[in-house]
Amino acid sequence: MSTSKCDDQVTLDHWYAIAPIAEIEGAGIQQTTLLEQPIAYARNSARDVVVWTHEGVPGDVPDRNCLPVRERYGYVWTTLGAPEHDVFPIPEYAEADRRNIHAATFGVNVSAPRVIENFLDMGHFPFVHTDILGAEPHTEVKEYFVEVSEDPDEIVASNCKFWQPMAAAASTGGADVDYIYRVPHPYCSVLYKSSPLDESRKDVIAIFVQPLSQEQVRAHMLLSLLDDTNNDTDIRLFQQTIFGQDKPILENQYPKRLPLDPRAETPIRADKSAIAYRRWLSEKGITYGVIPSAA
Amino acid sequence: MLKLYDYELSGNCYKVRLLLSFLAIPYEQEMIDFYPGKQHKSPEFRQINPLGQLPVIDDNGLVLRDAQALLVYLASKYDESGKWYPRDNPDLLGQISQWLAFADAITGTASAARLHDALFYAHIDVVKARAAAHELFRTLDEHLFFAEEGGQDWICPGDHPTIADIACFPYIILSEEGGIARIDYPAIRRWCDRFKRIPGFVVMSGVFPAGPAADDRAKVAVPGQ
Amino acid sequence: MMSDLQSNWYPIASSSDLPRRHVYQTQLLGREFAVWRADDGYVNVWENRCLHRGVRLSIGINNGTDLKCQYHGWRYANRTAGCTYIPAHPADAPARTICNNTYPAQEAHGLVWAGETAVGAVPELPGFEDATVLRAIPLNAPMDLAARMLLGYSWEDGCKGQANADGSVTVTAADGTAVRVFLQPMDSNHSVMRGLINRPASGKERAALLRRHSWLMQELRDRIESRAAAQDAPAPYQPVIAKVSDDLVDIPALGAAALRAELRVQVARRELTAEGIVSLRLEPVTGKLPTFQPGAHIDVHLPNGQVRQYSITNGPGETGHYTIGVKREPDGRGGSIAIHDTVQEGDVLAISAPRNNFPLRRDSTHTIFVAGGIGVTPLISMARAMNAQGLSFEFHYFVQSDDHVAFRQHLGEFERALVIHKGLSPDATGATLKEVLAEPGFARHVYICGPGRMLEAARDIAAAQGWTDETVHFEYFANTVEVDDSTAFEIDLARSALTLQVPAGKTILEVLRDNGIDIPSSCEQGACGTCRCGVIKGDVIHQDVCLTNAEKAEGKSIITCVSRAASERLILDI
Repeated sequence: MSTSKCDDQVTLDHWYAIAPIAEIEGAGIQQTTLLEQPIAYARNSARDVVVWTHEGVPGDVPDRNCLPVRERYGYVWTTLGAPEHDVFPIPEYAEADRRNIHAATFGVNVSAPRVIENFLDMGHFPFVHTDILGAEPHTEVKEYFVEVSEDPDEIVASNCKFWQPMAAAASTGGADVDYIYRVPHPYCSVLYKSSPLDESRKDVIAIFVQPLSQEQVRAHMLLSLLDDTNNDTDIRLFQQTIFGQDKPILENQYPKRLPLDPRAETPIRADKSAIAYRRWLSEKGITYGVIPSAA
Repeated sequence: MLKLYDYELSGNCYKVRLLLSFLAIPYEQEMIDFYPGKQHKSPEFRQINPLGQLPVIDDNGLVLRDAQALLVYLASKYDESGKWYPRDNPDLLGQISQWLAFADAITGTASAARLHDALFYAHIDVVKARAAAHELFRTLDEHLFFAEEGGQDWICPGDHPTIADIACFPYIILSEEGGIARIDYPAIRRWCDRFKRIPGFVVMSGVFPAGPAADDRAKVAVPGQ
Repeated sequence: MMSDLQSNWYPIASSSDLPRRHVYQTQLLGREFAVWRADDGYVNVWENRCLHRGVRLSIGINNGTDLKCQYHGWRYANRTAGCTYIPAHPADAPARTICNNTYPAQEAHGLVWAGETAVGAVPELPGFEDATVLRAIPLNAPMDLAARMLLGYSWEDGCKGQANADGSVTVTAADGTAVRVFLQPMDSNHSVMRGLINRPASGKERAALLRRHSWLMQELRDRIESRAAAQDAPAPYQPVIAKVSDDLVDIPALGAAALRAELRVQVARRELTAEGIVSLRLEPVTGKLPTFQPGAHIDVHLPNGQVRQYSITNGPGETGHYTIGVKREPDGRGGSIAIHDTVQEGDVLAISAPRNNFPLRRDSTHTIFVAGGIGVTPLISMARAMNAQGLSFEFHYFVQSDDHVAFRQHLGEFERALVIHKGLSPDATGATLKEVLAEPGFARHVYICGPGRMLEAARDIAAAQGWTDETVHFEYFANTVEVDDSTAFEIDLARSALTLQVPAGKTILEVLRDNGIDIPSSCEQGACGTCRCGVIKGDVIHQDVCLTNAEKAEGKSIITCVSRAASERLILDI
């Protein structure tokens, strides 16, 4: 809605995934937007990924890097500010026997924090992901733990359990599935869920949200799985189906920005992680994509 | 067995899945990595459809493309009731063809806007696509309003939906993903509810099912009427 | 000026826009509404936003009696818009204050009228008593511009437009035919023209009339829109989103009651089994249900926050479900109404494990069951058990009329043992009970369940005719004693070596619980007997209806939720 660019320094001082690395190969100059700032990205003649800002016309590939770049988890990350830390760690990504798959980059007409809050939510599984991630009458969200740590600065929701009829592409039937959620970044979340194939380890699903504006985002979805039976297409399509089901919910939320005032919406115990998330954003002083609580 | 080259999030593929479900025709799916794999543009897939588009069916060696063509073919071949595509009724066939073309125009506008917003099809002029979709929706809303006035539930006359309804439904129900609200089209919104209650209706990712219809089939419970 | 606009009535829909089981979406002065007609005809105009996470309710489901949000299945009731069910916490009641924002609405002249703060009656429309509602035409233009240009609306030569004080426009033709068009301001640059024509029309004439005006108004719409496009669009309205009440800010704590409702069941079948009585077949969500005995009851945690006890009617071997019967009590405390009005097939309910305070002896030579009204439920389960074992019994069922006979199919199994007494006066009931209870004897037992007055009468008659206390078994639905809790006393807990003070206004049960001693309880009003506990020393003022007179006289038991000490101190066997 707003035409002015982002002036929320807290938001600016973070790393953002802007595109899967695979998309850059041989594709020439690509364009996207980050926090209302048009940016372009490409490989330069030295085969390095470069990202630069522009005001409508990207021009030629600059010789040297204009914006800081990191290549992490199969994506190009950049920043318009000065992040205090490097991109948050996902140690599982490096495990040799995992399948790391870029599932999709989807545009959604909603604010970034609404996407994260939906990602943290289990109660909607039977109603939105019917017969896949949940099914009536198994609607109960059991008690779980939420912790906010300072170092690293992140929210962790653990001991989450939900009954699922078909939790992953590799599932064969219903099971109570264990989840752990991490929120290591205001607009990113990492989910660990019990693997249908290995009881001792967990599949990883991460969502990296790139805010185009306060009310439009690109959501990048990474899977790091122990699945050795399904092909990449099946795994991707499964995840796309899930995200496609969330999309109309997200686009029908009003207001599109996440209200941080505790009296704006009605939490229940199942929303413990969302409450912690809203409080965490408030304490950070985030103003982008949210409706700050009137002091 | 009949094979459908399919992509879950494609409204055009959904048209075919809907008819196959309404007619209870068993089929196998060949999932195409439309995005991000662009498998429909691969040389292998272009051997099947040189246009590089979905959906495509392979019915015991007969390979056909184009959602509307597939609806015509499948209904003509497999619908024993003859109601989805009444081959012996020229008046109705004319009207169905007219609305199939209309459905194509919806695809060219509402679906284009959705591709722009969700999958970053940067070459699409989304403002123009949305405006053109609204023009079409205005036309359809008026048409459906007068259909209801005449006691009709569906796009074409008769007591049964036709493939014209199937062809129009997907990109209308998905229009909000392209930033095209339906708040101005109450007759379209009611028709969407009726469509979702057709026996055999299936959802796709992004489409919610309707609740049960009232036991009493009275369309309107207006006091005093 | 804003407040003036908000206090007006505006038509926001045609009546025909609201078929059953549909949710209509519209907007007024920038605020979106979800509008839906319940099966009883009532039109609900609500803010288009679920209070939980802001999702539009217009993508939800109109169930006929409530509106279900698509995101988490929260349900909001017809008329009140109060939240009746939160599936994520089936054991908890939604806070009573979770209530959607509703707006004044009226249905008149074939239109649905609403306003943010409208009061009083919708406008009278003299001359339009038998009007026909025209097809509404939305347009992208401010309401005032549309009203101005509507003055030039015309369907034949000689049409004259006139602005009305309420903002509508009336266009009149030479022959007296008039069209009155109201403007609905959806937003500052988005409106709807809603017209009425001052004559009834039907059949082909109606279709032609509607078509003609739809066409003409769309032509006008195009002209208004091109005018609007040439001027700066006004800033959109900024509707204020009301804040939820303070008590909803904190996440509600996990209640002690919820912890005791350890089972989750789904309403697999809901049937009207008799006039004003529904039966609910409850099946486990996962796993198996615990074993029940004939006469047992369960605590049901209701969507409105109340906890109620209902007897299980199952026969022996029916272990896959519990079936209960609930009578609608319009003058009750709301529990039965909550079940009748809000609980539906498919709902998940939290219940306790079955408890039996009404055990059935099967060492009798003959058993007499005396049921009054809904009191039939535990006795059905008992008689079915006896029937299956081939034990001798007779079953007397007192009902108002034939329509009030519940669970007919099970009663049918009792064949000749069943006697239904219909429509008897209290005196006639007494006379019948005298006959039924004429023959006390060795190993003969009577089980009574029914309304308080009938139960007392039956107990008196039994006693007068020589039935001993040990042979007369009964269960009340509710305590008939007026409970006095004004005394203060001390309790010694023999086994825990604790001494506690019970002040006026608190029950023994509450004091025990405050001190971390959790003893089972259920009705908490002196009717069910679950919280019974042994008395080692001290005198008891019994205020319950579950102990027999003999037990009360003996003084070895106390019902801790209502009864108190007559002495300064009680020593309890805890």
